[in-house]
This record gives sequence, structure tokens and C-alpha cells, in this order.
Amino acid sequence: MKYALFLGCKIPAQLPAYELSTRAVLGHLGVTLVDLEFDCCGYPVRDVSRDGFALAAARNLALAERAGLDLLTPCSCCFGTLRHAIRFLGEDAALRARVTQALAAEGLAWSGKSEVEHLLSVLAQKLGIDAIAAAVRAPSAGLRVAAQYGCHALRPSDVTGIDNAMAPTLFETLISVTGATPVDWPRRLDCCGDPLHQANTALSERMTQAKIADALESGAEAICSACPHCHLRFDAVQADSADPSIRTLLYTQLLGLAMRLPAKSLGL
Amino acid sequence: MSSTIFFSTLYASLVLCALGLVWRVSAWFRLRIGPDARDVASSQRVAAVFRGAASALFGSRALRLLGALFLDVLLLRKLFASEKLRWFGHLLVMVGFTLLLLMHALAPLVSAKLFPGYQPTLDPYLFLRDLSGAMVLVGVALLLFRRRADFPQPRRLIDWAFVTLLLIVVATGFVFEAYKIASPRAFYRMTEQFIGSTDRKELEPLRAVWASEFGVAFDDLKQPVDPALLQQGRKLQQDSCASCHSKPTSAFVSYPVARALAPVERMLDAGRANEWLLYLHVFACFLGLASLPFTRFFHVVAAPVSLLVNAAAQNRAFSTAGRASQRALALDACVRCGICDARCSVAPVARYLENAYLLPSHKLVATGALAGGRLLRPGRENDASPDDTHRDEARRVAEGAYLCTDCGRCTSRCPVGLDLADLWRAGRDDLAAVGLPPPEQWVQARSALAWAESLEAGSGQHPLADADAAFAPLSADRRSFSRCVQCQACTNVCPVVAHSIDAEHGIDLTPQKVMNLLRLGLRDLTLGSRMVWDCASCYQCQENCPEGVRVADIMLELRALSVHRLGALRGRREPA
Repeated sequence: MKYALFLGCKIPAQLPAYELSTRAVLGHLGVTLVDLEFDCCGYPVRDVSRDGFALAAARNLALAERAGLDLLTPCSCCFGTLRHAIRFLGEDAALRARVTQALAAEGLAWSGKSEVEHLLSVLAQKLGIDAIAAAVRAPSAGLRVAAQYGCHALRPSDVTGIDNAMAPTLFETLISVTGATPVDWPRRLDCCGDPLHQANTALSERMTQAKIADALESGAEAICSACPHCHLRFDAVQADSADPSIRTLLYTQLLGLAMRLPAKSLGL
Repeated sequence: MSSTIFFSTLYASLVLCALGLVWRVSAWFRLRIGPDARDVASSQRVAAVFRGAASALFGSRALRLLGALFLDVLLLRKLFASEKLRWFGHLLVMVGFTLLLLMHALAPLVSAKLFPGYQPTLDPYLFLRDLSGAMVLVGVALLLFRRRADFPQPRRLIDWAFVTLLLIVVATGFVFEAYKIASPRAFYRMTEQFIGSTDRKELEPLRAVWASEFGVAFDDLKQPVDPALLQQGRKLQQDSCASCHSKPTSAFVSYPVARALAPVERMLDAGRANEWLLYLHVFACFLGLASLPFTRFFHVVAAPVSLLVNAAAQNRAFSTAGRASQRALALDACVRCGICDARCSVAPVARYLENAYLLPSHKLVATGALAGGRLLRPGRENDASPDDTHRDEARRVAEGAYLCTDCGRCTSRCPVGLDLADLWRAGRDDLAAVGLPPPEQWVQARSALAWAESLEAGSGQHPLADADAAFAPLSADRRSFSRCVQCQACTNVCPVVAHSIDAEHGIDLTPQKVMNLLRLGLRDLTLGSRMVWDCASCYQCQENCPEGVRVADIMLELRALSVHRLGALRGRREPA
């Protein structure tokens, strides 16, 4: 199994542990990750230019296509962006013509051959729960974990399609496999507040704090995120707050520990 | 060359250079970039540098500083990591230039003292001088060849002055040397001085040797040369010339040039080329010296200082005062190599939006212009003239600044090790402080109703009316929202609505109201609304809409549309 690894901007700059642990875990599971010269997925451009957004995403897709690879991303926002761009390019012929022309100037082309996969769906669906279970050597002893998917991994379901968007179970299943216990928390599908942080900091932080409080009330000992934006937002809000805090953990770290990979290789 | 002219020009150039250096270096303590820099006085910044330098030089960090001097400054370690070919080119220029400066330009002070018996016309010096010059030429060629063409670097005429002067210095050096190799006049000057004769008959054997083996372009020599004469000449050459002259063939650049000059050598001799070629060469050098602080040549001062300062402060742990100076220094230490631009995460977007200010090297220049008061002149933001290019320029700078994703690739690849990420953050704060905040802030500074009224007053003027469908195809098409039955499912699941519990940070419209305004054909009323700009893009509304209306997609479209339409109104005077 071979994928072009799409890390986006956030992970290399602010969360290198996610890159480390993703490479360690997937490498251990026999997935080959190829590094292409990807750029920004297009997510931040969407507020300013729909064309720029689609072009940025399509260019990355075209790079993967040229290499004959599907993309795998551990970032839910990159995932949503790339999938959205595919939708826009498919439904808007004029947009597609403009993007095609811009890509052609660099000798690139997008035809939709390369698929975009989320880290979670590659683990649970492409590799399969059984393969993950077989790799677990040291199941964690019932650590109570709140699963944080990241909105753009789930919704809108007609774009992302990795699970039932109203009642997803994929992440919880992946947590169970490591020996940890997924907790049921009412706010599990709520937004972490990150996209709003620049525009409305007070409101954004209320959203983050509500989630943290909810996870704690539901008995979680850690919030496990599959998106760097969520993970970093939980950390940032807790760093500034005197309220009770909860441990944050990346799924690749939880799984890596259960697979007995050295903590250092997981960025811990 | 008259020594009066030589020394008066040299000292004038040195004085200009010194004054220029003082002025440029003082900018490192004067320029204020970032809000934190405004709170520190220049004197505090100077003090911080002395404190830092003292503790670095006499503390445990001295070794690290030495390592940085060797690896970062002399061996250009960071450039090696980023781009090998350019590193090679730069190393050639650096080594070649330094050798020429020390061994050739400062020969009486350096070469003559270090090497007993030093003569510029003897090997290995003769060969080494040409080798050094050739290294500079090849190096410059490599650097020019590696230059990126995506967006031309922000270069003014003065920036080309450095490269041009360097090339003139090296080229005139080679031509002057070639001229002297081939010059009969120079030959006779030497024989007069060392043999005491300029008589052609008497010197015939020596002339034969110097013509056939040393490239002197006599035009009155009998051909073919008699081998016996040559034999005789070689002996004379051994006795009289060899102690100061190696064969000029080892000057592997100048010698071929000398051969090429042979046909015009008599003309050059007659035209006193020995004087004006030398003047050209020397004055070009002095011009380079005098202009050092004002051209890109200044990077030979600023870049090493920046590298050493970075090495001295562990993990870039600067005080506020130190950081303020570090930012100003970065503006000068940037060599505009464009390596950052080539790996910028939003470079494809920059090309598509045709806005070079997304790219680091251009952004750096704009950051300097803003700090130096050249980007905005007071009052410009409220200028009513719609074709105010100055204001548009500032807007484009702001667009570039806020589309930066903080991915840090520019910082990690910078061959000078500049903390660009810090510079961008400071620059954004400065932009916000002069009335150029990010869109979510300038849009929300007015109410949705106020924006809608401005749109109405300026209707027919906004240039993008026809382009709406490209910016916002869903909200321009009734079919995408006409199915809305106002059930409020979107509002009920919206986390932003749920957490809007105080008036100050709350929203104005709900998602369902935004949809309703679209249904009523009142899209302009939604553009400046807090709901549109406070949407978290979590897609709960869209996922839960029983009618399949793409609520979140529409919200995000309206944002981009508002940036363009409200942006066109921004800064115009309100109608009386």
C-alpha cells in the first residue's frame, strides 16, 4: 500500500509529533509514504477566492496524479478542502476550465484519478481493523479516550463520506482496538472552535472550553484528535486557562504506544 | 597613475563607505517592526546588543559563535542544505573575491608581507590571480542562472549595481592584464629599467623570446624567427627577466585575451591604454567600496551579522529589544535569493491571484516599506480617488500577509537563517495597526446594514457585478436556496448560534435568516453580517438540512464575495 503523504502547513510547522507518529505507525503497518512537493491545500484561501482555493487544491491533486498516487492526509481540514475542491471542479465547468488553464501553464493536469484519503479511513477501511488489532502488542489498559474527528473529516457526508456523519463509529472502533475505552460524550461532533479563533476569539474559546468540560464530565482522561487544528486548539486554550484540563493525544501516538513503538518515534 | 588621485579617491570612498555603514547599521536600531518594537527605545536596543554580544563572546556560547562563523558564515552551511548549485556558485564568488581583495588589491599589505619574493607576475601568483577572477565570473554566472523567474525579485536599479560593478571590476582587471602582457610599450619600459636599453637591434634576441613565448605583440619582428636568435634570447631572458616573470600562459584567462588583443595592441599602446584601463579598474573598485552600504553588496555585512546573532541567542530567545533589532536587521540580511519564494506554500495561489506579496521575499520588502513609512502615506486610506494605486498596493500587501499559512518553510529554508515567521507576525500586526486588518476584522467593523446601505449607494459602480457567479455560484443561483422552508434546523444545530450568549461577541443573523434574505433577493444584506464571518464552517447546518440546501458552502461563498464587493467600497468616502 502506497500513498503520497499530504501533511499540509500546520503539522510540519506546529505539530511535528503528528508527522513523526504518522510515519512511524504507517511504516510499521507496511504503508509506504511518498513525499511530493505539495503546497498549501487551499483551506485559508477559501475566504478570499473560490478560484484560488480550487487551484491550490487541484495543483496538489495534479502532483499526486502525475506521481500515480492517491493522497493520504492526517489533517481533517486538508482532507475536507481537497475533497471539496474535487466537488467544485466536478460541478462547475467554468471553474474547471480556469483551473485547467492555470495548471497547464506548469505542465500539470487534474483529471480526478487520485483519491484523497483521511488517515482514519486508511487505517480502519484500507488496512482494516483486523490488521490494526494484529499489530497491537501492548494494549493500553482501558484509558478513557474522547474521540475528536475534526468536522471536515465527517461533514458534509456527501463530500467526505468516511463514515455516517450523524453517528460515526470509525474513530471509536480504532480507539477500542488499542485497548483504550472510547467514551460517549455529547459534544463529540461539535466544532473545536479553531476556525473561528481569528474572527471571534471569545466565542471560539467558549466552544473549545465547552468541549473540554464535556469530555471531562463524560469521564474522559484524554482527548484524542485526528486533526492538527483541533489538537492544537485544545492545547492552546488549556494553556491559557485555569480550568481543569484534559490530556491531549494524537491517535497515531495512542496506536503507536499500543504497537510498542518507541515513544521517541511518536514524538512523545 | 598619480598617487594623489589614487589616495584622494580611495580615502573619499572609504569615508563614504563608513558614513553609509553608520547610516545603514543605525537602521537596525531605528526601524520599528511589530507592536512590541514600539515600546522599546533605540537606546535600549543598542544596550541589548552590547549586553548580548558581551555575554556571547565571554560566555559558554563563544564556542558556538566560532562554530557559526566557520560553518554558517564562511562555509554557508544553510545555503548548502537548501541548494547545492547556488551554494557552489556563491562559494566561488566568495573565495575568488576574498583572494583578489587580500592577495591582489591589498598586495602591499598582505601578499608582500606574507610571501617573501612575492611578484604579481610570478607563478603561482600569476596563475592564482586569474583563477580567482575566473572563480568570481563562473560563480556570478551560476547565481544568475539559478535565479527564479516566477516572479521577478523586487529589485531596483541600485540592486543591479552590485553585480554590474563586480563584473566591471573583474572584466577590466582581465583586460588590463591582457593588455600589459601583449604591450611592447610595457616591454620597453622594463628593458629600460632593468637592462638599460630600448634599442631594438640590441634587444632582438629578447624580443624574439618575448614575442614567441610571452605573447608580446611586436609588429616589427622578422618572421620566421631564427632558432639561434631564440636560443640567445632565452639565455638573456633567464638572466634578466625570469626572476620576476613567469610565462603568462599560466594566466589562463588573460593570456588568450592578450592573443586576441594583439592586432589592436599598437592602437592601445598609442592610446595610452595603460593609463585609462587602470583608472577604469581602480575607479570601479573604489565605486564598489563607496557604494557598499547602498547596494546589495551590503549583505556581506548584514548576513554574517544576522547569522552570528542567531547563533549567539539560543533558540532565538531574544529579549523584546533584541527581537526588534533582529527584525530590522533581517530586512538588510535578506539577499533576495528567492529560495523562500520557490518553496512558499502559497506560491501557486500567488501566481493565480497575480499577487507577488504572498511570497516571502516580496513580503519582506513590503514589511520594510511599511516600517519605513513608504507603503502608506497618512490619509491615503480615506482617499476618495478610486484609482489610487498607492492604496491598492497596500491592499495587496495586506492580502498577501493574511494568506500566509505560517507553514514556516521560508524560515527553515532561508540560507541566511532569518526568522521570517516572526517577521510576518510582526508585519501583520503593523498592517492591522494602520487600518489594514484581516478581512474578518474590517468587514465586522461595520454592521451588515451599514455595508448594505453603502452597497446600495454605490450600486452600479462595483466592478464585479458580472463576476458574482464566479465568486459565489450557489448564492447567485436561486435553485440552491429556494428549497429552504425556514424550518430552522440549521440554526438549531449551529454551534456559533448556541455559543452566542453575549451581545458583544454574538452574531447578528442566524443561518436560517441568511437563507431567507437570499430567498428575498436581499443578498447584499448578508455580506457584512457577523454570521457569515463567524461561521465555523463545521457543516452541521448543511448536514442537517432536510432540504439539502448547502448552507455552509453558501456562507463561505458569501465571505469571498464580501471581500471583493465590500473591499471595493472600502476607504471610499461615505456619501454625504
